[in-house]
Formats: sequence, C-alpha cells, structure tokens
Amino acid sequence: MSQYDVINSRATRIDSQDKATGRAVFIDDMKMPGMLYGAILQSPLAHAEILSIDTSAAKKLPGVKAAVTSQEAGLIKYGVSPARYDETIFCYDKVRHVGDNIAAVAATDLETAMAALSLIKVEYREMPAVFTVEEAMSDGAPILHEEYPRNICAEVHQEFGDVETAFKECDLIKTTSFVNKRQDAAFIEPQGCIADYDLSGTLTLYSSTQVPHYVQRTLAMVLKLPVGKVRVVKPYVGAGFGIKAAANHIELAACLLSMKTGRPVKMNFDREQVFLHGRARHQFFHTMTTGVKKDGTLMALKHECYLNGGAYSSFGIATVYYAGSLLGGPYRLPNMKYDGYRIYTNLPACGAQRGHGGVAARACWEQQLDMIAEELGMDPIDLRLKNMMVAGDVTCNDLNMSSLGMKECIEAVKEGSDWKNKKGRLPKGKGIGMACGFFVSGAGYPIYRSDTYHGTAVIKLTEDGGTALVYTASAEIGQGSDTAFAMIAAEALGIPLECVRLESGDTDFGVDLGAYSSRQTLMTGHAVKEAAESVKLQVLEVLSRELKIPVYDMDIKKGVIVFKKEKPDFSGLRTRYIKEHRGWTDNPAPEEDLSFREASRIAYLAKGSIVGTGKYKPPELGGKFKGATVGTSPAYGCSAQVVELSVDMETGQIAIEKMTDAHDCGRAINRTSVEGQMEGSVSMGIGEALYEEVKFDDKGRVINADLAEYKIPTALDMPHVETIIVESNEPNGPFGAKEVGEGAIMPTIPAILNAVYDAVGLRIFELPLTSERVWTAMKIRAKG
Amino acid sequence: MLLPKFDFHEPLTLPEACQMMSEFGRKARPLAGGTDLMINMKKKIVSPEHLISLSRIDELKAAQCSGNMLKIGSCVTVAELTESELVRKNCSALCTGAKALGSPLIRNLATIGGNIASARPAADLPPSLMAYNAKVVLKKSSGERLVLLDDFFKGPGLTELQADELLTEIQIETPPPYSGCGYINMGIRKAQDCNIVNVASFISLDAPDGLIKTARIIMGCVGPKHLRACSAETFLIGKKASEELFAQAGEAAMKDCSPIDDFRGSAEYKRAMVGVLTKRTLAMAYEEVRSEN
Ligand SMILES: Cc1cc2nc3c(=O)[nH]c(=O)nc-3n(C[C@H](O)[C@H](O)[C@H](O)COP(=O)(O)OP(=O)(O)OC[C@H]3O[C@@H](n4cnc5c(N)ncnc54)[C@H](O)[C@@H]3O)c2cc1C
Repeated sequence: MSQYDVINSRATRIDSQDKATGRAVFIDDMKMPGMLYGAILQSPLAHAEILSIDTSAAKKLPGVKAAVTSQEAGLIKYGVSPARYDETIFCYDKVRHVGDNIAAVAATDLETAMAALSLIKVEYREMPAVFTVEEAMSDGAPILHEEYPRNICAEVHQEFGDVETAFKECDLIKTTSFVNKRQDAAFIEPQGCIADYDLSGTLTLYSSTQVPHYVQRTLAMVLKLPVGKVRVVKPYVGAGFGIKAAANHIELAACLLSMKTGRPVKMNFDREQVFLHGRARHQFFHTMTTGVKKDGTLMALKHECYLNGGAYSSFGIATVYYAGSLLGGPYRLPNMKYDGYRIYTNLPACGAQRGHGGVAARACWEQQLDMIAEELGMDPIDLRLKNMMVAGDVTCNDLNMSSLGMKECIEAVKEGSDWKNKKGRLPKGKGIGMACGFFVSGAGYPIYRSDTYHGTAVIKLTEDGGTALVYTASAEIGQGSDTAFAMIAAEALGIPLECVRLESGDTDFGVDLGAYSSRQTLMTGHAVKEAAESVKLQVLEVLSRELKIPVYDMDIKKGVIVFKKEKPDFSGLRTRYIKEHRGWTDNPAPEEDLSFREASRIAYLAKGSIVGTGKYKPPELGGKFKGATVGTSPAYGCSAQVVELSVDMETGQIAIEKMTDAHDCGRAINRTSVEGQMEGSVSMGIGEALYEEVKFDDKGRVINADLAEYKIPTALDMPHVETIIVESNEPNGPFGAKEVGEGAIMPTIPAILNAVYDAVGLRIFELPLTSERVWTAMKIRAKG
Repeated sequence: MLLPKFDFHEPLTLPEACQMMSEFGRKARPLAGGTDLMINMKKKIVSPEHLISLSRIDELKAAQCSGNMLKIGSCVTVAELTESELVRKNCSALCTGAKALGSPLIRNLATIGGNIASARPAADLPPSLMAYNAKVVLKKSSGERLVLLDDFFKGPGLTELQADELLTEIQIETPPPYSGCGYINMGIRKAQDCNIVNVASFISLDAPDGLIKTARIIMGCVGPKHLRACSAETFLIGKKASEELFAQAGEAAMKDCSPIDDFRGSAEYKRAMVGVLTKRTLAMAYEEVRSEN
C-alpha cells in the first residue's frame, strides 16, 4: 500500500474526457470576432542575396489588410541563447535555407492570404550553398553568418582528468564512429497561433507552444513591448518534443500583423512548413575512443563530434554541449575529453528534441561498450553493472547523482527479459540487446542568464472551501503535467483530486520556464507543493486559533481535519458553517469529522481569500569550467532497456518483438503517465533507429516533408513494451519525483543496435537501420 | 493546404453519372473515396472544375458471384474487400492486398476502382488482380467495353480510361482447381506505407500434385506500371513446384523488372527484393494449392 492518498496512483487524467470527446480546445478550434488569416512567404532557395521585395501588388488585392517585411518588422535579433541571437523575424540581406522567412500577409480569409503571397515579388541573387559539415568547413566555402568563420556556430573543448595518461594504463582501447540522421519530431499538431493586440495596447498570443514564458520574453524584446503588456496563453497542445520550445516566426509575424491591423490574426504552419522550420534533432557525427582495464573498468573516453546545425543556432549551443556532457554518467568514468563543433549549413535549423543532444552520443557509446564487453569476454550487463554509478556519485564533469536506481533498472530488465536464458542462445536472425541511459530532471539554469525562479504557482481556495484552484504557467503539451500538478496539490493539501481545479499555460499565472529538459514535474511540482503547503498552513493556523490546538497537532488528509491528539469540540465551528448554508442539503451531520471544506470556510471568514504561493529555483549546480552549466540538474533519471527482435535474413527487415523497459523516475506521481512516457519514448526511439530521416534534394529542399514519406512507427510497428517503474526517492524532487519524459529514450537505439548484432553478427554505425541498410551490410559481409 | 474551387455533383444513377462525364469530359473527375484525388487536388497536381461523386450510386457498391464470375463494383471499399467472404474464398491474395492497404481510416474510404484508376505503380490491389487475370468494365453513355487489367495500365497515373469513361466493375473468373495465389508488399514500416516492392504470384497445376500449368507473376514499384515477370512465368510452366524452383523463378523475375534508384530505395535493392518476394509469393500460392486438396 502506498503511503500516499493521491499521488503514486493511476488517477485518470484531468483532461482525458475532454480530449476523448473532442471538447478540448486547440488553436485550430479557436476563432475570434474580426479575425484575419495570416500567411508567411518562405524562400524557395537555399542561399541567396535578397535584391528587392515588392509587396505592392499583394497589398492591393481586395481582402488583404497588411503585408509586412523586415522594413516593418525591424532587425532586432533573437534566438534561443542570448549568446547566439542570429535570427530576425524576416530576412533582410539574404536567405539562408529553403523556407527562410521573407514576408507575411494578413487577409480576411486564408485563400486571399495565399493569393497575396503569390503576388509578392522577390528578386534574388542565388549564391552557392553548403549542405554538409564537410562542405561547410572546407576552404573557400560560402559563409552563412559573417561573424562565424568556417561556419563554426559553436565549439566546445573540455577535458576532465587526463585521457592520454589514462589510455596508457588501459588493456583495451576501442574506437568507433557513428552517425544518425536529421529528425523531425512528427508531433501531431503543427505550430499555430492567434495574436490579438487589443485597444488597450495589450498583446495576447494564443499559441501551440511548450514555453509560454520564453515566447513572452521574445515577443516583448523583438516587438519592443513591456513584458507586462504581453500575455501568452497556451491552449491544449498536440505535443512538441522540444521543437516548440522557443518562439517561432509565425508567432512573431502574427503579433506584428495584429499590431498593424488592430485585429486578431491567426497563423498556422502546414506540415511542410513544420519541416522547413525544423528545430528537431541534429545529425551528429561521433567518433569515440574508450579505454578499459581487463576486468572491464572504464578508464577514459575521448570523444569528437560534429553537428550539422542548419542555418541558425536555435538550441544548438546547448545541443553541442549536451552531446558531450551527457556521457559523464551513468557509469563511473574518471577521464573524459570532448571536442564538439556545431556547423552552420544551408538547411533548416536543428534544435532540441527529446533526449536533447544525448541520443546519438548514447547510441554510439552503448554500442561501443557492447563491443568492448565482447572482446573482454564479459556479459554486456556485467560490464555495465561493474561500472555503474550509485546515488551520491558525482561525474567527472560535476553532475551529482543525488539518487540513481541504475542497478535496480538493470536488474529489473535482466530479470524481466529472461536475459540469461536468451543472450547468446537465440537462433540466427533473432537477437537480444540492452543499453542504459540517464538524463536531466530539468536544466539547472534558464536559457537566458538570470536569477529568475524557474517556476511559480498560486493556489487559491474557493470561498466555500470546497475547491482548490491551482494556477501555474507551466505547459501541458500532452504529457500529463496538468494532472501531475493537480495530484501534487491534492496530496500536499490533503484533499481528494476531484477537489482540485487547475489552470495552466498562461503567463498571467506566473513564471514557468515551460515544458523542456524534463523539468516540470520536479520544478513546477516543487512550486505547486509549496503553494499547497502554504494554503494548508493558513487553514490550520485559523483552526489553531479557533480551537486552541497547536498547528503541529493537526493535519489534513483525504479532505478531513486530522487531530493527532484528543479530538476537540468543534461543534461551534460547525454551527457557524451550517448557519451560512441554510437550505443546503449536504451539511455535515454532528458525528462526522470536521471537513476541510468547513475548516477553509472558517479560514476564509477570518482572513478573506486564502491564497498560497510557491516557487522553485535549483540551488547553484555544477563546476566552474566553461559550459559547466549544460548538463547540470537537481536530479537525474535513469533507465535500462532490453530489446528482442528478429532480422529477416533475405530482406534485412527488422521486427522489434519485445521491449523490457525499466526507468527510475524517483517517486511516480501518476504511474499511468510514467508508463505513457516510457512507451512514447520507445516509439520515438524505434522510429529514429529504424525508419526516420529528413531527406533533401541537391538544392536543399526537403523531399519527404509529410508524414506519408517521413516514417514514424505506426501502432503495428510497436512491440509489446513491458514497463517497469523503478522508484528511488529523489531528495531534490517533490515527494521524491524526477524525470521520465526524455531519459526514457536514451537506451532504445543502442539496445536495438546491440540486438541486431546479436541476431546477425553485424555492427552497423549509421542510422536508420532500414531493411536496405541491413541487407547491404549482410551482402557486403557475404562477399567477404 | 487548401482545396481549389470546384463544382460538386452527386448523381444517383450510373446513366446520370455517364451523362455528366460526357458533358464535362476533361474538366471533370470522378470522385470515389477521395483518398487519392483530394491529396492531388490539395497539392494542385490536378484541379478539375467538376467533381462527380460516385458514392450514391448503389449499383457500383455490390460484390457478387454469378456462375464462375466474381463481379466487384468499382465503389466497393477496401474495408469491404477485407471482410468479404466471397473475396476471401475466391481471391485470398486480393484480400491480403486489401488488408495491407493504408490504415483502417483509409480502408473505410478507399475503393477498389480508385485504387485501379489512380494507376500508381506501388498500389496494393493491382498485382493480385492482375495475377487473377481480372478484367475491368469501362462504361460511357454510348456503351461499354471490357479490358484486361494487363492492358489497362499505360504508365504512372496513365490508363486506358477515356475522359468520358467510368470504371464500373472488376470481373474475375473464379480460379480453376489446383490453383493458388500469394501477395506480399514490402515497405519501410508495417503499415501506412508506400511500398518499396510488391509482388503477386498465381499458379495453377494440371493435377493435385501435378505440374504447373499457368503462372502469372506481377511486380509493383519496379517499372512505370505493374510488370509481368514473363521469363519467370515461362520458366515455371510444365515444371514441378518446389522451393528450389521458386528460388530460380525469383532469379528470373529479377531480370524481368526495371527498377530505378529513388529516395525509397536503390534499384539494386528493389531488384533483389523482387527475387525474394517472387520466391515467397510462389510458395504462398503453392501452399494454397495444397491446402485446398
Ligand atoms: C494515408 C494514405 C495511405 C494510403 N495507403 C495506400 C496503400 O497502402 N496502398 C495503396 O495501394 N494505396 C494507398 N493509398 C492510396 C489510395 O488510398 C488508394 O489508391 C485508394 O484505393 C484510392 O481509392 P479512392 O476511392 O479513394 O480513389 P479516389 O481518390 O476517389 O480516386 C482516385 C483516382 O481515380 C479516379 N477514379 C476513382 N474512381 C473511378 C472510377 N470508378 N472510374 C474512373 N475513375 C475513377 C479519380 O478520378 C482519381 O483520379 C493511401 C492513401 C492515403 C491518403
């Protein structure tokens, strides 16, 4: 039995009925009186100088209310990291990728807006373009941003310990290279928004975003409005996976158009524009050299990585750091050297996607660890168990594993998959493989340098005391955060979940950095818990005065006041409560316990509105070296997976048959949601491992910019996933909770790579493992 | 993506529909399930001024067996094909193809006529239909003609259909005794996929355990239209079925196809898969022959 009344259960999500019945409101469902439709003109060329833009014909088209370019928008630069603000709303000197943004129009309907776009005349002078890392870094290559020679957007050089000296003590040194492909997160709802600049000069943006707060700041900065005059509201969102974790061009353009026209303006990306906006997982080129002792002790890792970044920075600086820093764990690794380079190319910008920066690196390394285990004659699980960290360990790059159920995860999947009877014993064509991973539970620092709180929350009791209203600016994007926070509030306050009503995703509710870096459960969770505790204390303080009982001798549980010592005579309070509810038929009977509702009504009568606030900011984390902040977190989740698959020896087709998946999420707030994240991660991992790749033609145009040709797994491609929740008690998490949203994807790809090796004896170092790639590898081997 | 503007017509009878087709000619397109046409219209690949919906014409929605002839109306949906006892019993490979097409949502809308008339080289129904030697009825106001499906396809998106003609029916002679057919489609993932290669093979024997009398092998995605593996078919005639024989037929089929490199796969891989799928579908066909004895 759980010691909790609300959390740690399988409570039904608070939004599931609305979503199942179609009542949940998404941007596409929204309409406002007088609303205009916007459309954005995007470059057909990958790299070109803009000689002129003429919007006069577009403006003359009946129904067109505004057409804007950089002339109207101005040239204020923005982006994700202030160190690399390299975007403007509209291009002015040149375009840097197919889909780069040039102008926008607003018209009375979408047909007219589209027709207006076709009337905008742009003169270009086409320039040579670079699409690959090699092209971009070669001598004499065209430069995307003058300030960044050789198109190096960012580089990282770190060394912890002394790798070369450590290699001298090693018995085995192994080098491998690995490359993944550019991803699209394939969220179901394309970006969309409605901007409404009202007559009082307040700008409200309704947007499909993961980060209302960052969008608010970007709008205020670029459009030169006070933050207090900008409100960002997030309706229900059909997922984001990192791609919606920064302001996009249509959000800015819609606001600009609304400010110009004084009318609400709606804008949407179509699916192709989702691909042209990009910002999903980079393509990474990793080369890793690992040194170990005969007994399997990991000694050192030398790691070099190049990222094909696309035309702008987006999250890329964090990405190139994460690609290195996230190998610090979950194994004890005393020496680590990392050289990372993020390169600008004339393709849509890449950014952050689930498992930010760490997924390809993890795949490369975990496959290499398997190769090492084989050469040492060790079971790959034993190699991992030997090196794994435990709670309290600190990595060589100063990441503190305040809790870490790594051992429990490994043992759970070993047991759950019947590893010892399968590993090395399956027939040809069938394979089993495993891998591990870990991830941050929220970035230790905000994206902009700041001492800001990462999350604030407000809880207000209704005057009858029956309901707690929770207000948070956090972002429910499908992952279930609203439910988690309602549960945390109910648990901390001691009331049933039905007594909590929650509103979120509105910058008017406070500050919350949003849904990225797997941060909300831990960080927003802390803020909500603190607010709930404050409310509870305020109610108990009033009771304490009324009943002359010290606060610490009382508690609230399941909606009832608990008196730890002798039960006092509270009939006076009850009489007062009942007097205020004459005619009510549900007034408490004399023998009933004192309810929370009665108590908080009494508190309201004494104090007015009972409002509690909460906030959270991580303590100072990490080392002192350059880039030490990236990878820091108040806590780390970890996971292990075992995959079983078969390979068709004639076609090369891989069928994933079973996945045994264990994840340490600290205390599980909602067990069903935790499993949902685990299964969703497996699905995304399988897609990247087997099918997904954004493909371009030789002009930099996406050739598979739809979900027919960009292949994500279907329900039929999903194996049975046996999810095992491992619960460590995270000292830095609310009720001991930490992440599951992103870490859960880490082991999937390498577990598949290792299982393919087990099945067919081939190591493949390039994703995706399409049937053709596997078939080709088998054929090359057959030829000898 | 927005649909271009068009006039929408909803005839209730076939003569009415044919009349409209002859009136509007090239300016019109028949609309069946719309799963292909709507996308092409949104992408502005086609912009017909008139859409003539076939969905209210009941006579296009029936599947029946009369004598030794299975007749399937062009507006029978793919979902109905997957559930039809008639189809499963007489043309199991067509049923396999129908089950492989799209997703439940698509199958509920998509029709057999639309799958044929769109003439995509990767489509899931033509291979088995051709393997069963199906014919199609093409109808216009002034009369109708019966065309062998083999002769119907002219190239990607190109068919024997004239601007004023409708495809109204698919006719399949119920297969002779000791015959069987197999269909396999191969894509990147298990469903909702454009095939990389698809193959259907039909064989009939001259006696329960006899020699191969007829063979038809149809290959998709490896040419401008669905191709017959002629040399593989010839090779099989008069021989006794065996795994070894089917493997050799697969080798022959690889020479009968003309795949190209594209972003879905290399020509080399597609050719190799023709070999594998030919071998496997022949084995399926033979399995069906034996299971019926
Ligand atoms: C998500 C998705 C997945 C898909 N997956 C598959 C798949 O796995 N396999 C596959 O083969 N296809 C697939 N398709 C393509 C398509 O669904 C099928 O080809 C379907 O059978 C087309 O039938 P329809 O009734 O929808 O045709 P429509 O779109 O209505 O028509 C297609 C074309 O045929 C013409 N036409 C239709 N009926 C007639 C008629 N009776 N006479 C003359 N002309 C006619 C139309 O004018 C149009 O040009 C998929 C489509 C989508 C959107």
